[in-house]
Order: sequence, then structure tokens, then C-alpha cells
Amino acid sequence: MADRAVERETVLSLRETIARIENRRLPGVVRAAKAADPGGFRQREEEEPGRKALSLGVPDLDDLLEGGLPLEGMTEIRNAETRDAGAAAGFAAALSVLCQKARLEKGEPAAPVLWISQSMASNEAGMPYGLGLKAFGLDVRGLVFSLPRTVKDALWIAEAALSVPSFCAVILEIRGNPAALALSESRRLHVRSRAGHVPLLLLRQSGHEEASSAFFRFLVEPAPARERPLPDGSMLRGSIGHPVFNVIAEKSRAPAPLGFLLEWNPHDRRLYPVEPLPAAAAADPEPAHSVARLSASSGRSGRPQALGELVAFPRAS
Amino acid sequence: MRLVALDGYAEKRGFHIGQGVAEARAMCPEIDVLTADPAADRALLAGLADWCSRYTPLVALDGDSGLFLDITGCAHLLGGEKALLDDLLARLFHLGVEARAAISSSAGLSWAVARFGSDDILAEDEAARALAPLPMAALRLPRETIETLGRVGLKQIGDLLEAPRAPLARRFGATLLLRLDQALGREDEPLSPRLPVAALSAERRLGEPVQGEDDVLGLTEELALRLKPELEKRGEGGRLFELLLFRVDGAVFRIAAGTSAPLNDPRRVAGLFRERLQAVHEDLDAGFGFEILRLSVPKSEKYEVMQEDFSGTPDRERPLAAFADRVMARFGAESLMVPALSESHVPERAATFRPLTDLALIGKAEERAENIPAPLLAAAARPQRLFPSPEPVEAVAEVPEGPPRSFRWRRTLHRIARAEGPERIAGEWWLDGEPALERDYFRVEDDSGRRFWLFREGHYGASAPPRWFMHGVFA
Repeated sequence: MADRAVERETVLSLRETIARIENRRLPGVVRAAKAADPGGFRQREEEEPGRKALSLGVPDLDDLLEGGLPLEGMTEIRNAETRDAGAAAGFAAALSVLCQKARLEKGEPAAPVLWISQSMASNEAGMPYGLGLKAFGLDVRGLVFSLPRTVKDALWIAEAALSVPSFCAVILEIRGNPAALALSESRRLHVRSRAGHVPLLLLRQSGHEEASSAFFRFLVEPAPARERPLPDGSMLRGSIGHPVFNVIAEKSRAPAPLGFLLEWNPHDRRLYPVEPLPAAAAADPEPAHSVARLSASSGRSGRPQALGELVAFPRAS
Repeated sequence: MRLVALDGYAEKRGFHIGQGVAEARAMCPEIDVLTADPAADRALLAGLADWCSRYTPLVALDGDSGLFLDITGCAHLLGGEKALLDDLLARLFHLGVEARAAISSSAGLSWAVARFGSDDILAEDEAARALAPLPMAALRLPRETIETLGRVGLKQIGDLLEAPRAPLARRFGATLLLRLDQALGREDEPLSPRLPVAALSAERRLGEPVQGEDDVLGLTEELALRLKPELEKRGEGGRLFELLLFRVDGAVFRIAAGTSAPLNDPRRVAGLFRERLQAVHEDLDAGFGFEILRLSVPKSEKYEVMQEDFSGTPDRERPLAAFADRVMARFGAESLMVPALSESHVPERAATFRPLTDLALIGKAEERAENIPAPLLAAAARPQRLFPSPEPVEAVAEVPEGPPRSFRWRRTLHRIARAEGPERIAGEWWLDGEPALERDYFRVEDDSGRRFWLFREGHYGASAPPRWFMHGVFA
């Protein structure tokens, strides 16, 4: 009897270890065994050990991420082309805003966000812009930016930053798939991030899919924004509203890549899921009933012009 | 070509400075003539001045050929003036430098005796006796004055000592008496040290030179440990540390490491230098080893002593300072930056980055931006990424002021689905000058949803066609 109890204990502790390594929730059996108190007292409901996640406020995405953005460990965000870098940087900035907000809500002292950008990445896709990030919802007073020359230097700074408990998030921006950031280096960063309890967002600019130690990898693509809402509930035609991203979870526990259309609202500082635009509406700028109910007035100054707009083409000669 | 410097042998053969090289060769065909290199001479002198800082921190350069060392209060550390002088001359001899030196109570007297006299150490009352037989050149006078004095028969300084002062001043100017008084110690002569003297420093002289990086760092930590009580007594922490490494062969290395917050923890000081040594690895050649290490604190600030508590809440500031110091010691002071907002309408001036020189800068990005009108700061139409220099694009746009229809950026054609704008931003003529063109900014979205910030510089219909630029990317 005693032997069986020891065996069971061993198995349970192994399962717990595996769950911790895989960053999953504790299996139910383990949880029940841990919760049962030999004295019969009810234990205080504790936060689940071994896993800290930040809910992104989008139920489907949170389910996919098993609770939310891992607050200990690496998450990779990549974009396919350099011209999409704005969307990927925006998504990374949105996640760090959420980290900042979560800290404030928990009543912890504000911590800075460190943005490490290999200089070529920032030269190609633009420098982070303070006013724009402020308008995006990021508290730029707590932003520290670093522009190391090489990937190696960037990795060194990231590693140094992950070992101090001072940052609320670290964004590491790398261009392409450099050999200096292969599987073993990403493993190293990931372990550092888990040990230091600082979330690391690896922002891979115009890179391919590559095996890494990140829990999740997102491919971020730009998506057409919704129109600006007017006070009466209608939309302002032709306006560009809050940014929308098409976030595809390439690496996750889901069997196939899942895509989400997410809108970032800088005022609420949260993500909202949005429905895809109907294809026809995007393609056809004319309203559905384009026939005028009244006959057009003619010969007046207010009549619509017969010709289209005049466009300036570059001169041939 | 003329001779500008001679060695001892050449002096004995009767050459003199200013002589033509051809004439010298005619006198003695086997002489070696080297081209003068004043820059290298100065570098050597500066190196020697660094080396001399092992005797005293107050080392001043004297022209191109001499050094003044203020050894007030230092001589006893090296066993007295005689021992110091012997040690100095012996070491310089072994370095291959021919040097003469004298110790006296005034800089002018030392200068005169070292160059023209035979004594080496002079007591305070011996000034007149030592100066009397020396030639006029020992007074650091201009050549014309020396020649004028010679014409009237005043060849030795002794001739001046007894002469009445007023006629001398009237005839030869005030400089003569000033130099005489300085040599006699009646007039004070301030020396200007080459480098500022650090408030605190600790030094370690080694019997056996060390070469290894770990040994140097270990000794640095030990020196920092010796500095700590002094810093604590002053209630200060160092903002800048300087490590001087004296190599056996006379080369001196100066390695400075700044900190982002006052610091007095020896381990962290040693850690700073670990990163610095990594950064200067190529330039620091240990050779046969370092014999003296000195750690000094040129800049210190008030250090707020905080009591550790039992609450277990980790202190955020200190690890952050440690991180910033490590990064800046390795990659330079510009490697960490914080955003700085300023009052400007031109986007690239409105928000920039400035180096994180002080940890107090975190959280103060808007200090200067308080006066900026709120609408400008709250404007949503600012991109999240901005190109430091706008990139030209080929755009097809409506005339005269419409948004672009399509544009080609980096050889890719983007068709524009929607556009907002224009937002007109005029050039800042008080900075850019009158001809700065105004820009019309458009926020555009292409047919696949990418959002860009384009602007048109100039107007259609003006003499020069307008140009279009890509200035930023929206999220």
C-alpha cells in the first residue's frame, strides 16, 4: 500500500514537472492531489503555480493561448515583408501596452518597456516614433530604446535585460533569420525569460518561419481598417479608423494555423475581434443603391462635374 | 632644413640649434639627421606625464620638452625627496629617456637648475646661491631680452640679484623681474595640471606585475572596497570611475566607466570594468603586465542610502541601474535611449531619442512637452514608425491638392484605397530658413490594408513640380 502511494506521488510530481516544462495547466489529477489537505482544511484558492499569462481580452485567442500571452517566456511575432513592419510593430506595441496596463491594474509600480532594435531593422522599417506610440496607447515615459549594431549585441542586451526584474516587457526586433539567432540562442533567451519572469517579444521583421523555442509564433499581416464611427452611430465613409491586424497563430497547440482579425483601440487600450469586411463592399466604392431618386439638376453651379478628377501623371519627357 | 634638437654627443661636437643641415654635414659627414615630428614628441611627453602620475596626481606640461610635478605632500610616500628623484631618474633611464630633474621650492628654480645647474635638491634658502652662477637663459626669458642683457654685460643671474630693480624694470620690461621673482620663490607661479585631480583614489603597487584580466578585475574590486568607506563618509556614490593601469614598460592606460546612478558597491564597480575591458579588448595590450593599478572617482554625487527591508519587494531602481551601467559600459553611453518630446510641428523634430544619461530620465519624457497644445499631442494621425529621413516615392495624385491614387515605394506599386488628409505642416522658417517648403501629409491605406504616411512637398502648378515622400508607417 505504501509502495503504491509512493509510486503515485512520483508519477504526480513527474506530471507536474512536465506540465511546467510545457507551460500547460496542471492536469486535473495533480491539482486535486495538491488541493487535498491531509488535515482536512480547505486551502486558500491560489494562483495556479508555474504559469502566468496575460489575458488579451479576446476569448478565442485566449483559449488558443491557454489563458493569454505568456508572461514568462518568449513569444515570436513575425511579418512576411518589410512593408508590413508597421503592423507587426503595432501588434508588439499593443501587447506591451497590455502588459503595462496589467501592471497598473494590479497596483504594481510602473516598469519601463525595453525596445531593442537591431539598427538595420530600424533603418529599413523606420524608427519607433514617440508621438505615434503615445497616440497608440503606450506610456512613452516608460520606454527605453536601444539600437545595437549587430544581432549579437542585440542578443547580449536582451539577455542582460531579462536577468533584471525591472522591465515589464522586452521587445527584441531582428531583421530576417540571422544565423546568430538559431535554435540554441532562442532556447537561451527563452530560458532567461522564464527565469527572469519578464515576457520577451521577439519581433522578426521579414523573416521566414523558423524552429524556435517560443511558445507561440504569430504572423501579423495588415488588414483594412474599419471606418470611423460618427456620433449618430453611422460610419464616416472613406475614413481610416483604428488599426486592424490579421494575426495568424502559426505555432500553437492548435492543429492548424488560426487567423484572427483584431482591432486595436488606443482609447480603451484593448483588442477587439472584428468581422472580416464583406469583399464586395471593399471592392465597390459605390453605395448599393446608386440610382438617384430625383433627376439631377442641370445647368447649375452645384451640379456634379461631368469629368472625373484631374490626375497628375509624371511627365514623359 | 635646419637643426631643431640635438643629443648630448652632437652638443659636444659644437653643433647648435638653428644651424643648416648642409653645414652640419660638412662639419661632420657621419651625423644622423631625423625629421622632426612634433606630434609624436607631444604624444611621448603626454605618455610620460601619465607615467609620472605614479608620483603625484599634479603633473603639468612645460612646453614641448619638460614636465612639472607638484610633489607637495607626496615625497614622504616614496621615502623622501632624494629617493623620489633617484627612483624617477633611474626608471626613466631604463625606459630609454634621457632626463634631468631638480627639486626645489619653486617651479622656476627647478626649471633653471634642471637645465643649467648641477644641484638636484635645493633647500628653500639656497635659491639665490644656486641661481647666481647660471646664465640668463635659465630665467625662461625671450631671446631678445637675453641678447639685450648680454650686450650690457649682464650674463649671469648673479648680476641681476644685486642690481636695483626699478631701472631693470624700466629698461628690460616687467617680464625679467617677474621671472626672477618666480625663480627666487618671491612670486607665486601656479601650475596648471594636465588632468583634473580626482576627489578620491586608491592605488595598489604590485611587486609582481599582473597580466590576466581576472587579476586586474580582482584588484579593481579590492581598490573599490578601499574607496567605499571614504565614499560612505561623504555620503556619495561615484558617477564616473577611472582605472589607471601602469604597464611595466611605462605605457599607461586610462579606462573610464560611467554609471547611470551614484554607485559605491565594489562588486558592481568591478563588474563595470569587466564590460569596459571587453569593449576595449583590442586596445588594451597587457604586454609584460601591469605594476600599478589606481582607481579614482573623478565625479561623484549624493548617494541616497536606503535601508533594506524584509517585505521582499524587490527594489526596482537598483537592478535597472546595474543593467544600464553594464550596457553603457559595453556599448557606449548612446546605446540606451529614452524618447524626448519637444515643441515642434515638424514630425521628425517633435519626438526624438536622447541618451539615457540618468535613470531619472525614465518617466520624464514629457517634461518639456507640457506647453505643447493638447490637440497636437493627442493627434491620432501620427505613425508608429517614422523614417528619420523621408524616402522619395513616385506618386500619381489628383491635382491640385488631392490625395495620391497610387505610389511606387521601394520599387513596389501600392494602390491606395482610402486616404485622409491633407494635414498641412509648414516649415519652421526660424530653423530651416525661408525657402523651407510646406508639406501636405496624407494618411493612406493601400488595397491590402497597409497604412502609410505620405507627404507632398510643394504644389502642383508651381515652377518646380512637387515631390512625394514616404515618412512613416502606421500600425
